[in-house]
Amino acid sequence: MLCSNIRQILVNSEKQFGSEDAVRYKIAKNAIESKSYTQLKQDSESFSCALKALGEQGNHAAVIGATSYPWIVSYFGIVNCGSVAVPLDASLPAEELCELIDRADVTVLVLDDIRKDVASMAKERCPKLKYLISMQKEESDEEALSFRQLLEENRGTCEDEPDPDKLCTIMFTSGTTGKSKGVMLTQRNLAENATCLDMKIPPRTVVLSVLPIHHAYCLSMDILKGLSLGSVICINDSLIRVAKNIKLFQPNMILMVPLMIESMARKLEEVSGLPAALVKRQVFGKDFHTICSGGAYLPPAMLDLFGRYGITILQGYGMTECAPVISTTVSWNIRKGSVGQLLPNCEAKTVDEELWVRGSSVMLGYYKMPEETAAALEDGWLKTGDLGYVDEEGFVYLTGRKKNLIITKNGENVSPEELENKIGEYRLVQEILVREKEGVIEAEIYPDYEYAKKKHIKDIRAALQQLIDEYNQGAPAYKKVYSLKIRETEFEKNTSRKIKRY
Amino acid sequence: MFEQLVNIICNYVEVEPENIHPESRFMEDLGFTSFDFMSMLGELEEEFDVEIEQHEAADIRTVQEAAAYLEKLKAEA
Repeated sequence: MLCSNIRQILVNSEKQFGSEDAVRYKIAKNAIESKSYTQLKQDSESFSCALKALGEQGNHAAVIGATSYPWIVSYFGIVNCGSVAVPLDASLPAEELCELIDRADVTVLVLDDIRKDVASMAKERCPKLKYLISMQKEESDEEALSFRQLLEENRGTCEDEPDPDKLCTIMFTSGTTGKSKGVMLTQRNLAENATCLDMKIPPRTVVLSVLPIHHAYCLSMDILKGLSLGSVICINDSLIRVAKNIKLFQPNMILMVPLMIESMARKLEEVSGLPAALVKRQVFGKDFHTICSGGAYLPPAMLDLFGRYGITILQGYGMTECAPVISTTVSWNIRKGSVGQLLPNCEAKTVDEELWVRGSSVMLGYYKMPEETAAALEDGWLKTGDLGYVDEEGFVYLTGRKKNLIITKNGENVSPEELENKIGEYRLVQEILVREKEGVIEAEIYPDYEYAKKKHIKDIRAALQQLIDEYNQGAPAYKKVYSLKIRETEFEKNTSRKIKRY
Repeated sequence: MFEQLVNIICNYVEVEPENIHPESRFMEDLGFTSFDFMSMLGELEEEFDVEIEQHEAADIRTVQEAAAYLEKLKAEA
């Protein structure tokens, strides 16, 4: 059923699936706890009531943490009372998180204890921040309010009907100029993206959620779409334990990025000498049948490989700016080489080889970045930065990329400029170019040979590697540089003295 | 410990055991992807009956560091 705001998703599903499991998660090694659709609705409404009681309704609230029940409750609680959720990447350095909290005008921060380090820094550096809520604290204290206690003290219902066209979520994505951009999404952007296409996924489908929840793909497809369909969302507590959690939760479906799919493909092929059905059972469990792939390019050969084991891969294409799905394949109409058919709420055209899309999922713009917004949107059309076309049946084909972004196999977008600026600050680095090579990020550096001479640096490679190691130390996994190339001559420049990238 | 680790590493990357050294780096030298590395940590948890914290494991770069981390976890268990 098409929903135009996020609250409708939860209200409709609660009516239909009330006492059935909405979320399952581990509380000990092999012990699972679950929350029903009714509990999720009640808890999120209580969180809305808590925000109202704090006088924060309508303001911006950031959520930092791994996927968890409190994270999901906080998100629905924030957006369902007309406030704005700002999901942030829990793996970012504290300084960067504080910069985003401040830039997004956040007044409430809901924080998982795994990032306790952010709390004190945020209090110092983010003057607009008024309340800190700890997901784990049993009781509130001077440091932070307790999420549990807030819910208990503010039990109540919240019947507000959010305006579909109002901003409800700001999600940060890598900017091509190096500074991350806050994508402003409305209630309608997200709700219609999750509900406009009937993918014929039956209710009570068991979904294992393994991707980071601050990403639009996971939030929209695992959580919003999953809950709209009456799925059971099982939370994978760590990427270390995917194999164990598959055994524990016995999922039917997992949303993955190509990096994981290729790794799972090797696991399937390692188990030799058994019939395909038994191999699938051993690796994915007996009830497993579908993988949704998104975030990055998936080699088409994977579709056949998994098909041999009775597993369907549904490939999608999208970007955060489009909340995020633009096209997806459906199980009854798979076309190899295409990234699926346009969603019913989306139209597309090709302008100078670039794919432009328009529809109810296209963002409002970038938060407080009018220039970047004007560059990305034109008369309601979103310039995707991808080269491609759509055939007469609505199948989307991608042929290349116009924007200068590294899309890693785990779906993370990395701006080469951001890394070049950071590493380029070292005195020994005169010029640098960052790119992807064989699945890892490579930095090609032209060192300042004069400086090296002056400082008596003999082993320039070792010195540069040390700088890269130093940079890697503070960088999240997907921004680490794993390959170093050293040049003896300057890079070739274009007429504006910029390094030629290609 | 080192030999056991080498055997497990060989299940994830195509590197001959004799080319795996204590100072070999998982990503740069052995060609691990981040997801393969995480999956291997899951196998190490089972093999050595320890519980690995994902954020602690993020600091592990070399085979030697992995061995030292496992020794520490075993000693604490």
